[in-house]
Amino acid sequence: MRKAFTLFIPVVLLTFLFSAVPCAFSQKPIIIGAPLSTAFLYGWGAQRGMVLAVEEINAQGGVDVAGKKQPLKVEVIDTRDLEPGVPVSEALMAVEKLILEKKADFIIGGPVRSEAALAAMDLLAKYKKVSILTTGVLTPRYHARVAEEYDRLKYCFRIHGEAGQLVKEIMACFKEIQEEHGLNKVFIMVQDVAHARGGGEVLGKVAAGQGWTVTGTEIYPTGTTDFSMGLLKARRTEAQILNIWMDMPESSILLKQWYELQIPALPFGSTLAAAEQPGFWKATEGKGEYTLCNVVNAGNAPSEATPWTMKFYDAYTKRWNIEPEGLGCSSSYMAVYVLKEAIERAGSLDSDKVVQAMEKTDMMGVYGRLRFDPKTHQVIPALEPDEGAVGSILQWQDGKRVVVFPKSIATGPIQLPPWMKK
Amino acid sequence: MEILIYGTVNSMALALMALGFALVYGISRVPNFAHGAIYVVSGFLTWTFLRVVGLNYFLSAVLAILVTGLIGALLYQFVLIRVRGMAISEIIASYAIGLAILEGLRWGGFRGMTYSLPVFVEDMVIIAGVPIDFHRLLLIAIGVAVIAVLWAFTHFTRLGLALRGMAQDERAALMLGIDSDRMALIATALGSMLAGLAAIVLLPLGNIVVEAGYNVLIMAIAVCIVGGLGSWMGAVLAAFLIGFAQILTVVYLGSHYQIVVALLAIIFTLILRPSGLFGRQKELEERV
Repeated sequence: MRKAFTLFIPVVLLTFLFSAVPCAFSQKPIIIGAPLSTAFLYGWGAQRGMVLAVEEINAQGGVDVAGKKQPLKVEVIDTRDLEPGVPVSEALMAVEKLILEKKADFIIGGPVRSEAALAAMDLLAKYKKVSILTTGVLTPRYHARVAEEYDRLKYCFRIHGEAGQLVKEIMACFKEIQEEHGLNKVFIMVQDVAHARGGGEVLGKVAAGQGWTVTGTEIYPTGTTDFSMGLLKARRTEAQILNIWMDMPESSILLKQWYELQIPALPFGSTLAAAEQPGFWKATEGKGEYTLCNVVNAGNAPSEATPWTMKFYDAYTKRWNIEPEGLGCSSSYMAVYVLKEAIERAGSLDSDKVVQAMEKTDMMGVYGRLRFDPKTHQVIPALEPDEGAVGSILQWQDGKRVVVFPKSIATGPIQLPPWMKK
Repeated sequence: MEILIYGTVNSMALALMALGFALVYGISRVPNFAHGAIYVVSGFLTWTFLRVVGLNYFLSAVLAILVTGLIGALLYQFVLIRVRGMAISEIIASYAIGLAILEGLRWGGFRGMTYSLPVFVEDMVIIAGVPIDFHRLLLIAIGVAVIAVLWAFTHFTRLGLALRGMAQDERAALMLGIDSDRMALIATALGSMLAGLAAIVLLPLGNIVVEAGYNVLIMAIAVCIVGGLGSWMGAVLAAFLIGFAQILTVVYLGSHYQIVVALLAIIFTLILRPSGLFGRQKELEERV
């Protein structure tokens, strides 16, 4: 009798538990497939941003699809595409697996490497899956392809900045540095990957066109761990800014070596994943101080860009016990909200209807006003949060990430290392 | 001057990476493909002793080297001894162990760029207009010291002479009462300790990342193939050849081509002189 009673209680409790679950969770979840290179910041940051948004939305009852509430569910597959030597086909297999095996309704996140994302566009078109790129992929070719083959590739969106916009922001920041500190010579250091090569090349041309002297360009294979000769070249050519385009973690080594050799040039990362992260200070034992880096979107570093920025920043920090670390965090978080709104406006999970709704997106998010260019499906950028998606350039100052650009959201001025001061 | 200074630094770094591999192969004829993994393990061990346990830097480094030596000995005693003499099995077994160690570390959360070791001396000096930090100068000094100690050890100590005897002719060494398995075990342990030492000297210039294990293995193989498998003096010479070639490539062609130098060196050596500069293995076959 006692045994039967002990069995009876859990059964009653379980029955109560299941009957008490909100009706949203009795509905089939909407699957968000996330192909991400999870061993890297641009992968894990995106995953965390996405999971946070999904948890928030589910806590509010889920997504309203034509009057029925459906929860969201994230399925992540590691694409490994940021790792050196991993072929693009690995990322494509991950995307296809998400669509066919995990039955993803939508794709958010990656692939993270530009080469892999470009190749995945045809897969997304084949399966008519709406995808929002949120991390890593900076190549302008992505949105150019959407414009060129709209009918086939209309399912592809990108909600974070791209190389062209980054160059504009960097040049605007360069101008401020030129005016305030009198610097006008730049040395470009690039990782041998599509977005970085392209970005470095464009920046070199634009900088030269705007009166800067480009004293040299060095291209490094992914995984390089010794940058001393390149740094000495920069020193020899009297460069005053090191413009760095690298997303490999080894780029933190570059900054350590820059400090150890006391190179009189301000390191400025256009993409510099290592310096975006809060752990950078510890990793370089403070030697990375004065490094500037572009975290692409506001919200990846603390600022008051919009009322939602610090709300997101704090929620992320509370959920993951670490601040948003860099590119991919705020954009992946916002992508889920943008998708939710688009589904609700479309009243359907049908890809073509969601594409139409996405094109009409106009919401104030973590990094400003979010709208997509209807022809290219690229998020519309701006220097003012009220006008569009704002970027964010930070500088490491005394162990803290201080936003220094754009002026509209800056929390401090740019500083030079002591060995550069005259 | 820049080429001379940084060429020497780069060459010495390559020599340190490769010496352990060359030593193990030279004595036991086992290519230890777990060499890169042991290098990375040593870095993480030093980091753990220093940052987690709170020991001082010197003690952390010594302990890490001893533990890597033990790992090498265990690797030989429990894995390599069973496949010794079967070339393909030796490669597969040691590479599999290395892969398991590296991917295990990655799986265990040792990823990203947050693991780093401090440099030994925090300062820099300008030599003939070329800035160089003290750690790199120390790297050259340590490299020279290691080569000298290794030479003295193999020429003036009983154990070193036994190891050399075995490297020259295992059967003759056996007839003289030298236990070949024991010597191979000692060689693997010593080779692992050298990998550990290389990690402690080289990793403060960068970060401790799992990927370094693969790079170090590639560089060690390149140096040993060019120098001649089995010849550790050949390895030192090859390290200087490749090291300077890499620096000249960076200066005159660009950093992009740096890794190609090592790979081209492997290809050209295998085409022109498969036994390498000082390798005796297959030399007779080549002549025939």
